[in-house]
Amino acid sequence: MKWQRKDILGLEDMSVEDIRHILHTAKVMKEILMRPIKKLPTLKGKSVVNVFYEASTRTRTSFEMAAKVLGADTTSIAIAQSSVSKGESLYDTAKTIQAMRADLVILRHPSSGSAKFLADILDPNVINAGDGQHEHPTQALLDIFTMEEKLGPLDGKNVVIVGDVLHSRVARSNAWGLQKLGVNVTLVGPPTLLPIEMEGLGVKMTHDLNGALPGADVVMALRLQLERQKSGLFPSLREYSQLYGLTTDRLKKTGKESIVLHPGPMNRGVEISDDVADGVQALIEKQVTNGVAIRMALIYLLIGGSSNVVA
Amino acid sequence: MEVGTFKSKILDADGIRRAITRIAHEIVEKNKGTNKLVLVGIRRRGVPLAERIQQYIEEFEGVKVPLGILDITLYRDDLSTIDIHPVVHETDIPVSIEGKTVVLIDDVLYTGRTARAALDATMDLGRPERIQLAVLVDRGHRELPIRADYVGKNLPTSRREIVAVRLQEVDAEEDVLLLERDDDMK
Amino acid sequence: MWWLKDVWVIDPSQKLSAPRDVLVKGGQVLEISSSMTEEEVSVKAQGEAVDTVDGKGKFVFPGLIDVHTHLREPGQEDKEDILSGSRAAVRGGFTTILAMANTQPVIDSRALVEYVRMQGDRAGFAHVHPIGTVTKGMQGTELVEMATMKEGGAVAFSDDGKNIQNAEVMRLALEYAKLTGLLIISHCEDKDLAGEGQMRRGVSSARMGLKGIPASAESVIVARDLMLAEETGGRLHLAHISTTESVDLIRQAKARGVNVTAEVNPHHLIFCDEQLGITDTFLKVNPPLGSRADRESLIEGLRDGTIDMLATDHAPHTQAEKSRPFAEAPFGIASLETALSAVWENLVVPGRISMDRVIEAWSVTPALRFGLQGGSLVAGAPADMVLFDPDFSEVIEPATLVSKARNTPFLNKTLQGFPVMVWVEGRLVQRNRIVL
Repeated sequence: MKWQRKDILGLEDMSVEDIRHILHTAKVMKEILMRPIKKLPTLKGKSVVNVFYEASTRTRTSFEMAAKVLGADTTSIAIAQSSVSKGESLYDTAKTIQAMRADLVILRHPSSGSAKFLADILDPNVINAGDGQHEHPTQALLDIFTMEEKLGPLDGKNVVIVGDVLHSRVARSNAWGLQKLGVNVTLVGPPTLLPIEMEGLGVKMTHDLNGALPGADVVMALRLQLERQKSGLFPSLREYSQLYGLTTDRLKKTGKESIVLHPGPMNRGVEISDDVADGVQALIEKQVTNGVAIRMALIYLLIGGSSNVVA
Repeated sequence: MEVGTFKSKILDADGIRRAITRIAHEIVEKNKGTNKLVLVGIRRRGVPLAERIQQYIEEFEGVKVPLGILDITLYRDDLSTIDIHPVVHETDIPVSIEGKTVVLIDDVLYTGRTARAALDATMDLGRPERIQLAVLVDRGHRELPIRADYVGKNLPTSRREIVAVRLQEVDAEEDVLLLERDDDMK
Repeated sequence: MWWLKDVWVIDPSQKLSAPRDVLVKGGQVLEISSSMTEEEVSVKAQGEAVDTVDGKGKFVFPGLIDVHTHLREPGQEDKEDILSGSRAAVRGGFTTILAMANTQPVIDSRALVEYVRMQGDRAGFAHVHPIGTVTKGMQGTELVEMATMKEGGAVAFSDDGKNIQNAEVMRLALEYAKLTGLLIISHCEDKDLAGEGQMRRGVSSARMGLKGIPASAESVIVARDLMLAEETGGRLHLAHISTTESVDLIRQAKARGVNVTAEVNPHHLIFCDEQLGITDTFLKVNPPLGSRADRESLIEGLRDGTIDMLATDHAPHTQAEKSRPFAEAPFGIASLETALSAVWENLVVPGRISMDRVIEAWSVTPALRFGLQGGSLVAGAPADMVLFDPDFSEVIEPATLVSKARNTPFLNKTLQGFPVMVWVEGRLVQRNRIVL
């Protein structure tokens, strides 16, 4: 297997071989992560820069930890932006970081396509840590890793993703990645948050959660941005929760010991009830641990060698 | 495996068997038994060698010594100079190495860099009482102050030569060959 | 005097599309006839020197009239100004351009109208006519002094760039503009439906996670404005039509006799949303690129006359503005220098639309509907004229563009079929792609 990617931008254009290679590498990384001494000399002298235009403590920390375990130096640049047009442009920020000789740039940005934009202009490798509503590949990879760890090979398994699919980069990346691995994906949400044009993702869609649950091996609840109520996309949290909230009773409809995932942070009592969130079926903490392992794998694969092979 | 022109056969299957048996004996003898012993094979050909040593020790001591596998990819000091970084594999050592005598096992000892990486990798897993090194062939040309505790065969070589260890489990052949590096491979 | 020999003349104003000889003298078309001898020509020159052009294999047609350009002056001269924009126009085959009013400040008074007109005259390339806003400050509430602005040179009124959301204001505008006989140009885009959208709402927008603008954002306003025009009897022109529904609505309204015309932009006839990549800000345009089906409807609408005109919606932006993530880049394509060539290569050559129809829609009809000089090569008409070489090919590159802007999807691509000589009132202003 020759690793030839310069950047990790999304799962839509990633091959099955690449996905499998990442998952394999992450398995090794997880073993290292579970050791008492979590430090490798592998990336000594490499510098990783986190550029976060959106607040996200957990993703940023996860990347930082991953880079540090591998021995790289990390710097974080948090750019608070009330409005996208204010301040230095992403283009200029990118050029500045490049001039500082960063080896890898990890970008979280509110605009869809910003990661590709950055990758197109930068020599250093780029990992997309979430670009607008487009993709969040590391989240999907850690979700897939967590599913596989629990369920074995995912081919033919049933995964239900429920919530605000329209605005979710997590849902998009998971839909692409899971499909490639032969998973039957069903997207569930109200018509305003799961409009007809989402059919372009090529997976099943329904507005009826109860009808989608039977046979589900995995149920993934998406975070609901509460401010969407103000835009009229759903009438109330109460009704949303009644129709699409994950509860213990509802989870029984799968007829299986299904596992429950959530990308976090959770709105308890909205998309997921307390007892489900804290229950044995929820692997939400495992997702966090696996997130570090996945990110270690990606960082290693991108900057572990000397030449950054451009695909 | 590297490519070269055949020069001579250093060991055949019997030779390998005898060398490994001797190493197994020496390990037990030097450590006054099998207490606290942990055998660790360095990927890739160190692994079947370690398995065989474990088996021989069990045959004449009646004790199954714990066996682990070490992948040293992430500890290599040449990652930044090789073009495409190698695939990492799992390290799997089923017992704690805390206070143990760890015997690292590899096929060939050459520059000493692999052994150095293996030492670092081992130390990151815990604090063994001591670490020893066993190799099937020591071909010289050390670049680091490292020596093996157990050597199957000392083989003076030139840097232009390649020592190819072939084991049944990995290569479906069983011998040690000396090859001359092809000119265009330099 | 100019003598264009053996050139294919396309002049839909006199239903002419045939090889002819053309004489231009004193800034006017002197004569178009089947063939002339040197003796005949020298008699007609009356002692004036004769510049002879071999027109074999080339077309000559009335200079294009673009009723929709953004020249950015005053206020945003880093993107474009009236001089650079009018140079770009003649390089692209346009001898008359209408300048949209959404500058900084917006063109909502006679003084500003006159400024734009005078800057156009000073530049001295294409004729530049100002369009005034419909409402003061383009705020969509109070009407401008339309009659006074017409006296200053305004040729139409539009809040283009922004929709007039208040239907009553739109109705009043259509009523009041009757005083002037000028058109109200509607930028049909419902603000709430369009929202923060970045591209056409559909499978592609959903896939890329870019906020979508539904087709209805345009069509509901088209429907509204057609009804208002019908009710008031006002004169309405619909800018940059981009959806199937809009074309259908216009077709029905015309059948009922509504006083309406509509334009389409070349990019909506050439591209569609599925071709858009997530970093292709050069294809980010408003109204956004529609579906493949929309593109077909627009071509059909242009062929059958439902859509009356072609217009570029030339929207220059700086490199820095377009070098941003998609959602942060401004809408618009700078197209004066490439539009005709793009239409030739992508629509005329494959036989989707005839060159005669293109010239009618981009020259004859705009002149008639907006009451402008040009659009005809009849004897005595001002010689606003283009010689077009279908074999001339060119790489579109920053070094040769005369517009300040480079935001074209054709950048670094080769197009074939270009205007190689352009005259404004008989004066040669562009030769071999060089603006003189």
